Amino acid sequence: MLSKQHQYGLKKFAFIAFISLLMPACGDSSSSNQANKQLDYTKTYPASSGGTLIDAMTGEPSGLIAMIAGESAASAIAGNIFNSLLKYDKNLDLTGELAQSWDVSTDQKTITFHLKPNLKWADNQPLTSDDVLFTWQKVTDEKTRTPYGSDFKLVTKAETPDANTFRVTYAAPYAPALDTWAGLHILPKHLLKDQDINTTAFARHPVGSHYYKLDSWKNGQYLKLTRNVNATQGQAKIDNLLSRIIPDKAAQFLELSADNIDSMSLNPIQYARIFPARPELNKKIALYRELGNSYTYLGFNLKRKPFDDIRVRQAINYAINKQEIIDGVLLGLGEPVASPYKPGTRWSNPTLKPYPYDPNKAKALLKEAGYEDHNGDGIVDKDGKPFSFEILTNQNKEREMTAVLIQRRLKDVGISANIRVLEWASFLGRFIKPKEFDVVVLGWSLSLDPDQYSIWHSSQQAPGQFNFISYNNPRVDKLLEAGRLELDPEKRMKIYHEFSKILLEDSPVVFLSAGYGLSAIHKRIKGISNPAPPAGIGYNTYEWNIPSAYARNEMSEH
Amino acid sequence: MVPLLIGISLISFFIMHLAPGDITTSEASFNPKASEESRQKLRELYSLDKPVIVQYGLWVKRMATLDFGTSFASHQRPVFWQTKDKDGNISLGMIQEALPITLLINVLSLILIIGVALPLGVISALKQNQLADRGITLFVFIGFAIPGFWLALMLMYWTGVQHAWLPISGLENMGHENMPWFSRTIDTLKHLVLPVFISGLTGLAGISLFVRNGMLEVLHQDYITTARSKGLNENRVIYGHALRNALLPLITIFGLSIPGLIGGSVIAESIFAIPGMGKLFYDAVLMRDFPVIMGILTIGSALTLIGNLLADVAYAWADPRVRRGVMQ
Repeated sequence: MLSKQHQYGLKKFAFIAFISLLMPACGDSSSSNQANKQLDYTKTYPASSGGTLIDAMTGEPSGLIAMIAGESAASAIAGNIFNSLLKYDKNLDLTGELAQSWDVSTDQKTITFHLKPNLKWADNQPLTSDDVLFTWQKVTDEKTRTPYGSDFKLVTKAETPDANTFRVTYAAPYAPALDTWAGLHILPKHLLKDQDINTTAFARHPVGSHYYKLDSWKNGQYLKLTRNVNATQGQAKIDNLLSRIIPDKAAQFLELSADNIDSMSLNPIQYARIFPARPELNKKIALYRELGNSYTYLGFNLKRKPFDDIRVRQAINYAINKQEIIDGVLLGLGEPVASPYKPGTRWSNPTLKPYPYDPNKAKALLKEAGYEDHNGDGIVDKDGKPFSFEILTNQNKEREMTAVLIQRRLKDVGISANIRVLEWASFLGRFIKPKEFDVVVLGWSLSLDPDQYSIWHSSQQAPGQFNFISYNNPRVDKLLEAGRLELDPEKRMKIYHEFSKILLEDSPVVFLSAGYGLSAIHKRIKGISNPAPPAGIGYNTYEWNIPSAYARNEMSEH
Repeated sequence: MVPLLIGISLISFFIMHLAPGDITTSEASFNPKASEESRQKLRELYSLDKPVIVQYGLWVKRMATLDFGTSFASHQRPVFWQTKDKDGNISLGMIQEALPITLLINVLSLILIIGVALPLGVISALKQNQLADRGITLFVFIGFAIPGFWLALMLMYWTGVQHAWLPISGLENMGHENMPWFSRTIDTLKHLVLPVFISGLTGLAGISLFVRNGMLEVLHQDYITTARSKGLNENRVIYGHALRNALLPLITIFGLSIPGLIGGSVIAESIFAIPGMGKLFYDAVLMRDFPVIMGILTIGSALTLIGNLLADVAYAWADPRVRRGVMQ
């Protein structure tokens, strides 16, 4: 018996030994990190250029022509390669990028962009207004497979009086126009004029004008950018940007811990729970937070009773504890919002405050609307029908958790809510488009341009359009129309402050929370603004630098 | 086989289109800047506005010339094999790139499974109901039951973060191209250790129990008793007579595992950041990228049918009873 036991033990041991033998045998070189671990990253050095910043992204871009590719991975990479005419500065105000300045005509219908002198593409060819015109022609071309053409089709005339001037004319003043020009990457005409933009190899071999150019792209593995010596905006300090494609967040985190990548975005649990518990990580990795670009809301189907009653909507707004959602779902890493604009920016009305959590007021409003608990079952009812509805959301952990917290708070005021979670495509196709829902928990982006015509204007209710909650308020319609026609920022601001005020009172949606964007960046990267300005930490990546004392051992990489 | 293939493609095409949504309804496209008219225009460009049966017709027409088409996403990259444009730029096919990676990992893990499961199964059978048998069974079942993604992360942490023995994820280190071939091979192998081990671990239980039961059944056959009674040495009996017979059913299993070889695993590929077939298929389904889904399904089902055929042929070759039809 003993010998058999022994034999089994041996076999199993042999197996484990086989595995573990394999490992150290292969593990001699891979990391030069051990030396880096002892470095003290708190010292300051003068900003120098050089080095490689390695970050991780979960998805791979399909191509680097952003108007065609569309996904966020593509815009993130392409944003380092291509310029737009305008850009947003650190306070989210528009400023020139390729354009030195721009004038708006007195009738507000014509915008003239004056390009900076002597702009060049990375391949040394001059960048002129012809390229801008060409890009506009491509984005509005019927044959171009882009979903972003409609804003540019409003341009009735585009012309290039000279090589440094580009002029567009709209049929009517269109205030969001400047924002749209800040989002359009200018493409080189000399390389694309004979190409089919939908299938061109240029999408994988781009030539741009921004800080970096594409060096190599290994499908499914990484994209490597290297400094563009002809960059139109000056020289970035870091030589190479390497973006590794690592779909799994946990694997990214391990790579970060092992010093193989320098930066990644975090979820609230990693930020608020895992990092504080690991002092050795905090020695080499710094955490940043900035207000994100989207907010979560609870939207009512205003075509359905009783959500057409403002008292019911307000009651639900009072019944929901927003701080509880921020604390519970985002682990405190978020802010309440009272309007669809980023708090702290020009468009956000500073006098507006979210509805406070007030269950008694909620009950009073419900009673006013005719809802009372007549039969004592804990659920309020009207005309013998209990007040109960379905909260619909898509498969998104944060939204699901938000829905659960709301469900509980609604129960406190006598409203029974069920939760239904759906896959995105069926959520959109079967429920949102035909408007077959009571209440949704969803998110919208906190757009940089204040125009939200497509979301709130009563004309935007057709299936597939974005006012799927069927919001219809003539005063809001008027303000949204006026806001589109006014190009003066001060006057525009007043319009949208008024719009936000009405929206909050009317409560067609309950603004729930805006989460922070969280990122972890290795302390070898210097020059990052902390705390983040409204535009986020990424606004000055060209100033980030890696002191040579902190650089990775590049021998192992090249 | 051809009618079967057409049937399979028809069913998969329709099931795919039964799922709500298309390439224009991915979550990223729920963007107020992308208007409904533009999305409608995209649908027309991809023929997604036509009835499903017409779309199927278009697809069959292309397939008749073995044209797998181009992806809806991914800048119309070719689904299957590389194409060259008029300027001589080559764009590689999506399956062309993903398949060799998945194949390599799966073949290596199959070798690992056979190399480990065969001896384990034989030992189990010989020591039936003894401690060794119980221990091996317990071990393979733990391997089977342990969540792969969890074990993968633990091993990545242990071998990658704590000790820097192995790379954590990806397929190659930076600067792979500039290494001499020897370091390149070592580099690739190091990246493959964990993925191969993780994908092999779950297969271990099935095969080793299969071998064990096959052996047990054969060991109770009369011809084994005969062999022993004529005084053959025990090794000859076990490896020469019993094992060979016990392995016959494995042929079927390997035949059936051919489509699995190209399938790949979504979870392992995501965790290890390996651009293989599983990830390709999963992303294509989420994006409703119909040409890619259909390309993978068609190639997969064709391989399944070929696998079955090969298994039948191999069976006949290995087992005279099948060949001569004397099973009864």
